[in-house]
Amino acid sequence: MKMKKTILEVVNLKKYYHQGRGPFSLGRGRQRTIPAVDDVSFYLKENETLGLVGESGSGKTTVGKTILRLIPATSGEIFFDGKEILSLSAGEFHPLRKDMQMVFQDLDAGLNPKMRVQAILKEAVRVHHQMSSPEVDDRIRTLLEQVNLKESKLGNFPHELSGGEKRRVGIARALAVGARFLVADEPTSGLDVSIQAQVVNLLKDLQDRLGLSYLFISHDLRMVELVSHKVAVMYLGRIVELGLAGHIAHAPRHPYTRSLWSSLVTKESREVSAPTSPGSSGDWGVFDFERSFSGCRFAPRCPVYQEQARPDICTDPVSEPQLYDVGRAHKVACHFPLS
Amino acid sequence: MSETIILRIENLHTFFYARSKQAFVRAVEGVDLEIMQGETLGVLGESGSGKTITALSVMGLVSTEPGVISGKIEFSSKGLQQNLLQDLDQYVQHQRKNGRIMAVQKDCGGWQRKTERLMGDIRGKEIAMIFQNPQSSLNPFVTVGKQITEAVQLNTEIKNSREAQQRALHWLERVKIDSPRLRYHNHPYGLSGGMCQRVMIAMALAAEPSLLIADEPTTGLDATIQAKVVELLMELKAVLNTTTMLISHDMEVIGRLSDRVAVMYGGRVMESGSVQEILRSKDGSNHPYTTALLGCIPEEKHIKDKITLQAIEGDVIDTMNIPGGCRFYPRCNQKNDRINQSCKEHEPALKEISPGHWVRCWLYYDE
Repeated sequence: MKMKKTILEVVNLKKYYHQGRGPFSLGRGRQRTIPAVDDVSFYLKENETLGLVGESGSGKTTVGKTILRLIPATSGEIFFDGKEILSLSAGEFHPLRKDMQMVFQDLDAGLNPKMRVQAILKEAVRVHHQMSSPEVDDRIRTLLEQVNLKESKLGNFPHELSGGEKRRVGIARALAVGARFLVADEPTSGLDVSIQAQVVNLLKDLQDRLGLSYLFISHDLRMVELVSHKVAVMYLGRIVELGLAGHIAHAPRHPYTRSLWSSLVTKESREVSAPTSPGSSGDWGVFDFERSFSGCRFAPRCPVYQEQARPDICTDPVSEPQLYDVGRAHKVACHFPLS
Repeated sequence: MSETIILRIENLHTFFYARSKQAFVRAVEGVDLEIMQGETLGVLGESGSGKTITALSVMGLVSTEPGVISGKIEFSSKGLQQNLLQDLDQYVQHQRKNGRIMAVQKDCGGWQRKTERLMGDIRGKEIAMIFQNPQSSLNPFVTVGKQITEAVQLNTEIKNSREAQQRALHWLERVKIDSPRLRYHNHPYGLSGGMCQRVMIAMALAAEPSLLIADEPTTGLDATIQAKVVELLMELKAVLNTTTMLISHDMEVIGRLSDRVAVMYGGRVMESGSVQEILRSKDGSNHPYTTALLGCIPEEKHIKDKITLQAIEGDVIDTMNIPGGCRFYPRCNQKNDRINQSCKEHEPALKEISPGHWVRCWLYYDE
């Protein structure tokens, strides 16, 4: 098998949000920092899909947006096609935009409500390519055919489209510039199951035909497992486990991954109720100033931490678990990985 | 489980009028449902299939014109049976063509006043509802404890505010909110989505209703929290034995919580039966729509062998423009020459293919 090229590499990416003293705080309070993305590293091979899962608030979308430089990173390096992109100036980065695009989560906010589908696509085609009108029309027709959208929809406004069609327009627009790498942010959320399946099939089909690479952000674990080659699990801004999709789903090493996947019930086991994992009863998976952590962020909810009678190493501030290799391209950040 | 029918919906029609399109939105067109005492009926369907509107019609909460225009909703509690849509005929006139309602005249104001009188004693007390979006259904200016206390005072015999407060705390504990005494004084924005949903459940159950309608109780929550809410509902079901109508598009949630399932499409029930027959059917004798829906969920075999999902072609039905024959016909992948003609021209009635298992499909009619 030919070695695939690495299309994207993210090294120690950090994005901190500051909640500062606003004009209304009258000098009271201190500046607080929210580590939305805290030291995240991974890479993505060409023509592959990396699934990024985690609860809401875990920083999945922030990772996606920082990679595309839609929001500035605090620190870290991102290599796209071997070229560091965070240090580029806006002008130098601009041509790269045609290679990397985002399919946004919010169907309605992502499309201009005052533009017809044709205008939306035309704009996207023309941003990076000098084309004559007939060429643009040709290109739009190819795009429609690629995303399986009827030509009659070109004259419609976004609000006249169904959810699945809006999603298709969103994908078509990302492809219009000739992107090779897509960040698909929750492409199936908010859609009906029947339409979800259509969208996932479309994404896979496009990957095969055009050789695209995806960063697939989702909290739908089944979908992630289905479309991804590799999966990264995020918890409070950190990747806690990274590995091949099948390993993550069926042989997880991190307690958080296990509790994520065990919250799914398979068709076969629908009758038996899922075992209650102790310690995970508190439903907070977002960063919270009042529940500050030291050491491992998952410790307060971790069943293993409870079982091991609360070992000190888990809450030791200097030994926050780092990702390390456990074999078979599988990495985990835990002091007591599951076997 | 006793065989008393708590709620029977017969041929319910709820329409809206789209002025710009000069057409009716046939949100609910001929729904038949039955819920027995102590059971959980799962109502499954895509968006726009009329699940929520059916529930709102039962609660008498459809106020848009023309709203509920025909049908029967028989509700019995405490040995008393009444039709919630009694005398509806006196307020509505409709013209039918080929058995379908084409024009409606309704005295909406009059009907509204009448239902309000009737539902005042039922809504919240006998039938309670958990709404889809917990955060937006709670009053953002009032602490959650106060809101539950209010519900207790309004819907139960307890009028004394001290006692009501105790009762509210009891329910907060019941729905497993940690440190209920602290949470009592929280405003909804201080609680996570999962906790808000628990508060909603507490509020609905505080009146100990005969029927609980849960509209998408897990939608919009994270996977781990979804599982927790489902677990809570399962426990409450085991302890309280509340009769529940569970509305969801999530087949896993329906599969875990329901005793019987009704599958809706385009404002009609396409199939109903026990949860085994519908979601875990061995011989595959289902409505093509149900089969197709089940095919959309990735399963072990898809993931292992990287098979593509069997998506349902086309879009969710446009309720303004329902086809003349079977409403699923345009998207159906099981149509064949034998029944094609019937499918296109007539919509079949529900047929009982095995005891308690009803299917609305020409496949099961042999001619």
